[in-house]
Amino acid sequence: MADEDEDISHLRAPDTADFDPTDEAQDFRFLDKLTAQDTAHPTLPKRGEKDFESHATSLQLDTLEASRRTMHGVLSWQRTHVQKGHILALYDPKTNMACVDKVKSQHFQTIGTNKGGREWLLPEEALFLIERGTLDCRWPVKREVGDEHVYRTEDGAPMSLQSAYAAFIGFEGGVGGKLTLEMYNVYAGLKRSGYVIFRTGTWDDDRGEPVLASPKAEMQTEPEPGVFPRFFSEVWRRLSQPTHTVSPANLAFGPIIKPGLYRSYNDIYRLLKLIPTHDRTAPPSFILPPSANNPFRVHFDVYRTTARFRKTARGPPDFRICVIDARESPIPTSAQLNDLMAQVPEDRPKESDQPYQRLKHGYRNVILAVVDNGIPSYIRVADSPFEDVKVYERAGPRGKGGGRGGGRGRGRGRGRGRGR
Amino acid sequence: MAEAVQPEQAGVASELRTSCAPLQIQEKANGAPRKPHPRRPNYNEIHAKPLPLDVFALPAFIPHNPISIVRLAIALISQSLWPPKSHSMIHKAYYSPETQSIHVTDPASIRALWENGFWGKGSLSRSEPQWLVAEKRRRGAQASKTSTEVTQSRREERKQFKLERARAQRDAIEHQLRQEGKIALDATVHELVENGTGEMKGVVADEEDVKSSTIDATSADKTLSREENDTDVVLEIDILDLEHLQLTPEEAFFLTYVLGVLDVVTVKEDDLDRPSNQYPAWYLLRLYCAHALSPSEDPHQEKTLTHLSTAYNASKGATLVGSALSCVPSIEPDNPFLLKYVVYHHFRSLGWVVRPGIKFAVDYLLYIRGPAFTHAEFAIMIIPSYSASYWTEPFNGKTTSRGADKERRDWWWFHRVNRVQTQVMKTLMLVYVEVSAPWDTNATEKEGFKVDIGSVLKKYAVREFVFKRWSPSRNRD
Repeated sequence: MADEDEDISHLRAPDTADFDPTDEAQDFRFLDKLTAQDTAHPTLPKRGEKDFESHATSLQLDTLEASRRTMHGVLSWQRTHVQKGHILALYDPKTNMACVDKVKSQHFQTIGTNKGGREWLLPEEALFLIERGTLDCRWPVKREVGDEHVYRTEDGAPMSLQSAYAAFIGFEGGVGGKLTLEMYNVYAGLKRSGYVIFRTGTWDDDRGEPVLASPKAEMQTEPEPGVFPRFFSEVWRRLSQPTHTVSPANLAFGPIIKPGLYRSYNDIYRLLKLIPTHDRTAPPSFILPPSANNPFRVHFDVYRTTARFRKTARGPPDFRICVIDARESPIPTSAQLNDLMAQVPEDRPKESDQPYQRLKHGYRNVILAVVDNGIPSYIRVADSPFEDVKVYERAGPRGKGGGRGGGRGRGRGRGRGRGR
Repeated sequence: MAEAVQPEQAGVASELRTSCAPLQIQEKANGAPRKPHPRRPNYNEIHAKPLPLDVFALPAFIPHNPISIVRLAIALISQSLWPPKSHSMIHKAYYSPETQSIHVTDPASIRALWENGFWGKGSLSRSEPQWLVAEKRRRGAQASKTSTEVTQSRREERKQFKLERARAQRDAIEHQLRQEGKIALDATVHELVENGTGEMKGVVADEEDVKSSTIDATSADKTLSREENDTDVVLEIDILDLEHLQLTPEEAFFLTYVLGVLDVVTVKEDDLDRPSNQYPAWYLLRLYCAHALSPSEDPHQEKTLTHLSTAYNASKGATLVGSALSCVPSIEPDNPFLLKYVVYHHFRSLGWVVRPGIKFAVDYLLYIRGPAFTHAEFAIMIIPSYSASYWTEPFNGKTTSRGADKERRDWWWFHRVNRVQTQVMKTLMLVYVEVSAPWDTNATEKEGFKVDIGSVLKKYAVREFVFKRWSPSRNRD
């Protein structure tokens, strides 16, 4: 349902965007109908059309009734568990994990860890399987002193859903290694929408290691040109691009661009560079000290479902998710974002991409899942290389004021109705 | 059903009618009249210069074309003998403290500043100063449309289209009802209402709406065409241009301090020509910073400004009275003007056209080449960042740091801003400005009073992060 909302708002965007009440004279005549109507049955004035509106045709009523019947049919269908697919697991209070007796389900292709020949489920994995009715988790049998009897898993008391929530959430050992309800919400939500999702690392440390950029391919050195070509190219360079510098006095009290002869606007723009920015070529480093209280760390690795997925050889994830409690933590500070970005590997856009795409894709990215009382909102954050996309180098008119150039501006603007 | 009346079809139909019987224009009741658009101005030519400066490129050198060599040589020699100047025109402006903007009143300057880099905004227009054009047109002296009017007529067209569509839908429903035998084959919707089917009430009310609005449109068309006849008699009215260009402090400071093409002078009109009374950039920085604080942040703003101007007048004199400087307020490192200017300068220096974004609930909008060519793609929100050691270490025995509260914004704030941006199809970008430790520590001395702008600006660093909503259902495959 939530997705449907999103889709609609997306489709409507062009229409509503253009609405600017200040530009239009307001027309309140429609309010007349309110007062003119009989006061016994007041109805709201009608403005615009709705997607679904009753208009008394049998066709519409039939369609509605048919879809209602289908929905009832689906809900009244009896769901059963077959004995063959019954999966038992034993809760282990020491690690707060569940140990599966016998692996029987498709689910274990994308869930669980094999440790010592047995399949172990992390808290969120066990809870997810219990919640969807796949797993029957048992409490361990309490032993008296001197009780040497070997108990089977079935002997333990079954774990209810309530106790599963109570047991699995928030009781893990290790600093910052706790599963919060927000994290479980995100985990279960993505799992249900068909993603494969695993914990990033072990969650035992306060944060991940900084991921250094992959060493770049060796710069290809071009063969040195001969003496004469070099001489002439140097002469040409000096003639066409006189080097300008900004004197300290001009930098201090302006103007930076002193009157003179400039060959191109690019020369001027190069002189304007003044404000330092983040150096994306340097290896990433942390600003904040490691702390268990910093919520901005990568929690989950998310993969798109593919037929050839193997949980033992997962490869790099498609998305990295950081779960945030919207009520606990405000939007990230610069230092927090810097540290978060340092924990994910570089994911550069293609060199051939258009500037907008390159800037939106960014050099590194993380998806923040901001959870407010169980409702997640996903936001993709990208470290955007504005410094590397020099707009002025490509901003000039294309062609010589060519045929297409003239009408371009309005051509796109009409009808789409996007604010300027 | 909604596709029954496509705007194109309506347009084609009306065009047909126009071409067949041009005299019957007045009778056209529905469908927007489509006249051939007047040729749009060549924006590539008008806005060829990205900055209000002149550059002189050498003619192309083509090795196998001897004439190109000659042209090159001539250009080189003439330019070395009579070097051309990049600053062909120094614009004059004055600071208006009441509106906190910088006013440019000279028409030539207004055109130059708007055309070469899209600086400022017309005081009586939406953005481009075009009040005079609109006014002339209103009085029938000139027939071209301003962009505001184009938008207006587009909205009218769209409204008309929606009415048509609503009517087509109603027709379909009525047809269906007829087929099902719920209303008599020859009955109209009106009779149905009289029979008391309450649900149809709203529909009918709407239809009357349609009728009345089509009548409106008809009469509007008539008046319009009458006006068009009037325009044949072009009236040469001499209209006084009441509009000026207003620059934001950031734009004006960029033009003054960086490009050196704008002189902000004292308000007195009578001695505008005297070159000596222009303010130096460092004083403008202090002035804009003092004005940037809201009254709640600086309750003694008026007093502050008086102190500032006395100190400035005193500093011009040869002997500086120390007492004049003693009251000069020092600039806080996170002054709103400074933060905004740092971001403004950063993106301008990368070649973007930066325009204020208050209409979109953000600080700035970024255009490639300018608003005449493309829509803005990025919307900027500035977030001050206090991660320098001065801000993070505890002070006065408190456990919290100095900057902790100033950079705090909650997720509801974020989503509000971001929702607006997706509605207008822009991408939200948070630009974090690293605030330096206080630097204006000796403002009360003569050396400190003159701000070393370059070194101050270099103390600030920016970092851009692009935010975009991510939907699990749309990224699965």
